Amino acid sequence: MRRSNKRLPWAYSLPALILVGIVIVFPIIYTGYLSLTNMNLYHWFDFEIIGFSNYERALLKLDSGFLSALFTTIIWTAVNMALQVVLAYFIAMALNVDGLRLNRLYKTLLMFPWAMPAYVSILLWRVGMYNTEFGLLNKVLTALGMEKVNFLAENTPAFISCLVLNLWMALPFMIMMIDGALQSIDKSYYESAQLDGAGFLARNIYITIPALRGIIAPAVIMTTFTTFKQFDIIYLLTMQKGALSGATLQTIITYAHQNAFVSNNYGLSSAVSIIIFVLIVVFSLGTNRGLREES
Amino acid sequence: MKKKISLIMCGLLVVGTLFGCGNAAQTGGTEVNNESAQTDGEGTEEVEETKQDASTEQTEIKIWHDGDEAIMKTIADRVNASLAEKKITVSFEKKTGLTDQLQLYGNDAANGPDMYLYAHDSLGTFVEMGILAPIDDMADAGVMGDLLPMTVEAGSYNGEQYLVPVYFETLLFLYNKELWNGDLPTSTEDLYEYMKANTDTAAGTYAVVNQHSTAYNVAPFINGFGGYIIDKDGNPGLNNQETKDAVEYNKKFAALQADGDYNTVTTLFNEKKAAAIIGGPWLISGIKDAGIDLGIKSLSDFVLPNGKALAPYSGVQGVGVMKHAAENKKEAVTEVLKAIAAPEVGIDLANNSNCAPANVKSYEDAGVAGNEMIMAMKETADTAQPMPNIPQMSVMWAPAEGLLAAVNKSGEDINTVAEEFEKQAETAIADMQ
Amino acid sequence: MVIKMKSSKKIKTKLKLTALNIFLISLSFIGLVPILYALSLSLSGSVGALSADLTFLPEKVTLENYRRIITEEPFFTWLSNSVILSVATMTVAIGFAVVASYAFSRFRFKGRTGVLKLLLVLNAFPQILSMFAIFRLFKTVGMLDSKAGLVIVYAGSMCIFSIWNMKGYFDTIPVEIEEASRIDGAGDFQLLWKIVIPLAMPAVIVTAVMVLIFVWNEYLFATTFMLNEKSYTLAGGLYQLQSNDYGRSWPLFSAASIMVSVPILIIFFCIQKYMVSGLTAGGVKG
Repeated sequence: MRRSNKRLPWAYSLPALILVGIVIVFPIIYTGYLSLTNMNLYHWFDFEIIGFSNYERALLKLDSGFLSALFTTIIWTAVNMALQVVLAYFIAMALNVDGLRLNRLYKTLLMFPWAMPAYVSILLWRVGMYNTEFGLLNKVLTALGMEKVNFLAENTPAFISCLVLNLWMALPFMIMMIDGALQSIDKSYYESAQLDGAGFLARNIYITIPALRGIIAPAVIMTTFTTFKQFDIIYLLTMQKGALSGATLQTIITYAHQNAFVSNNYGLSSAVSIIIFVLIVVFSLGTNRGLREES
Repeated sequence: MKKKISLIMCGLLVVGTLFGCGNAAQTGGTEVNNESAQTDGEGTEEVEETKQDASTEQTEIKIWHDGDEAIMKTIADRVNASLAEKKITVSFEKKTGLTDQLQLYGNDAANGPDMYLYAHDSLGTFVEMGILAPIDDMADAGVMGDLLPMTVEAGSYNGEQYLVPVYFETLLFLYNKELWNGDLPTSTEDLYEYMKANTDTAAGTYAVVNQHSTAYNVAPFINGFGGYIIDKDGNPGLNNQETKDAVEYNKKFAALQADGDYNTVTTLFNEKKAAAIIGGPWLISGIKDAGIDLGIKSLSDFVLPNGKALAPYSGVQGVGVMKHAAENKKEAVTEVLKAIAAPEVGIDLANNSNCAPANVKSYEDAGVAGNEMIMAMKETADTAQPMPNIPQMSVMWAPAEGLLAAVNKSGEDINTVAEEFEKQAETAIADMQ
Repeated sequence: MVIKMKSSKKIKTKLKLTALNIFLISLSFIGLVPILYALSLSLSGSVGALSADLTFLPEKVTLENYRRIITEEPFFTWLSNSVILSVATMTVAIGFAVVASYAFSRFRFKGRTGVLKLLLVLNAFPQILSMFAIFRLFKTVGMLDSKAGLVIVYAGSMCIFSIWNMKGYFDTIPVEIEEASRIDGAGDFQLLWKIVIPLAMPAVIVTAVMVLIFVWNEYLFATTFMLNEKSYTLAGGLYQLQSNDYGRSWPLFSAASIMVSVPILIIFFCIQKYMVSGLTAGGVKG
């Protein structure tokens, strides 16, 4: 029986909600306010409210370049999430097989990529893995007698390179989430299933997956957002100032960065941010179904 | 040495208290190092006032930078020594991403810096934001008179002087004497012939490497051809015929210069896989560590097919004064500017860190005059162009490098992409308003 | 799952486990390749920085780079800042979020689903865009350059994730278990502390680790809001180390990044034995 009470739950969640209010809600409102002003380099301290003209300009940026960036972003998110969840699921299952003694060691080793700051990992991959002269991948190719490949110079290989790196960075978290969730499944279910003669596949489909769904849904949805707004990987791998790699991959965030944020026009870039935020909200309404609770 | 000891002590202290009490560790760390004595927000002003009364007007000038700590230490040591009697101390603090940081802290007297030391190309941005004070009334002819005109010009914006230049950098032709065969060419065409004969991309050995898709490193060609990335009035010139010719000309070099990434090209040179590199003085310490027998030549010694020399950008590192410091600490700031512009600072910088001093008198020192690299930079300074310091320049790097990458790496047609990136640049400039 | 098996089945299980071990070993190895690369870089002298040859073992192994990080950079100061900030953030974020997710999981009240969904949507706002607004706010209230300010930023950023994540797990714990104790007169907080948290241990730990790693690896807020090199965190200090062309040294940078990661791995290794739910381990069945 779930209790109903009018004030108590609010009192319990108040501290958390206040924190969220300061760190997340206030900035959104403030960004909304800035989007109505002419704050830019030339009006850094003496900006004033100018109405919705920033939005007019921002909407002009939603051109074909933006649409193709949006398309790339959706593909990027979908492919990443599908691979992440599936791979993490199987790895976590493997880690939970009975009788596996070294599982703590494996888990720790698999967490390593996550324990590094993102920019470190990205730099490490750019120079250590993908670089044409010193990258490990090219060294292997050369050792096999093949030609060097510039992984980041064209869009398709660059997309795959970013994808691999993102998986490398994000899988540990997903494995850990699923591993944690697997602990919640009552083992007696499996025992009775075993007695009923259910195979590996059947056990997964009828027991594990339904049991996991509710628990990992929040993590999956949050990761989807993170992947959608992923900026560091694509930016640092292919388009950092002074180190453009030749690929012209754009997601909506890198597109917004290149088209609004570099200009130091806070009014305009705030308007772009708000528009992107609205887009993400709309996008999230689509994924809302995954969250419906069984009440 | 003192600093080291204090750091170690600080570390030990912190480790000792690490698992005891967080706050104790914090205070412990602050006590050991006076420099970091900082209070949060509100209390700051009162603390500063009392400090001033107690120590008979000891004034501290805080300077932010985003450069090499060793260089800043050289400046600080010399300036502090010469200002000790006047009860003024300067302290340099490194802030990564200085441009972004000054956007936030530029007018913050309590938390922000009093002055900053940075390359001159961001000057226009800071002036337009309204955080910098002109220094005409603080640095008179006595201070500015001995400085190289090129560097002084780099530090002025809209007809007013904002920076006191300290040292400058230009790209140089750095080569490994062991690996280079025969004499150095004097024309870019001969250089290209040499590269063609001595480069084996498959084996990973190169004759000359350059960051061929970085705008700063291609500027010697663009400027030499008579093109420009952006002109004085803020008009981008990416589709200008001369610029296009230069980019196209650079392309054939790029094909023989690996991927042009900073890490790639410097490592190739340091690992003796490349006989020469086009790079700046910041590479020197790495090259020295690698034990390379380094030869240096000015880029203006190479003649382009049109008869003009390669003309790199020069980057002038200068100090600017925040508005609040110009109002509240005017006398101290004036003294600091004077001390920083002194020839001795330039001599120290040249001898310790191979920086080319902005002060002409520094070159009278035998050590400086005998420094091959500094003299090469000084020679280049005659043809070098100061980087544009108008704010529009800050949005030009991305389109310019987009153009270079498209031509060099994706093999696109120069005429088409030049139009495209010119338009992108125009939009970016329009977006600033 | 361990049922009595015939000997042929036993062999089969053994074979299976061996195959599984081989699979996991190779997986760990593949995952570690970039890190091994960094490790070998960090152990090499500064000369053979990046080598064009295909080798993992540096010619000459030296700990020089590690020594330099410890002695030439304020490593221990940064380390202690990282520890203080991450532990404080973890306490605040998990403390607040546990109570909130308990409320969202156990109570039914008006606005409940609305707030939950709103939180999720709010989480979609790119954090980097919040920097300027938070800066203005902190400047007004004088919280720049203070650890407390950073803890608020970090805890607030991780709060939504923590609430949602733990609530999902709390939902799976049968309410009946609590009801028995409630009849004995236990209050909400007692229930939470004595029953719910132990049962939801894996989720609480996973969430706490997530918060910890987030703080440990964050550098943008750390370097922007803290005004002095001495108050940087490890990630912030490291970020500053690699940022300029003058001093960039790959071996040094690799050594630093290994040193940043190792404490997290040790913690991770140690907490794993607690990653078992009271629900399955303690035999409490719903």
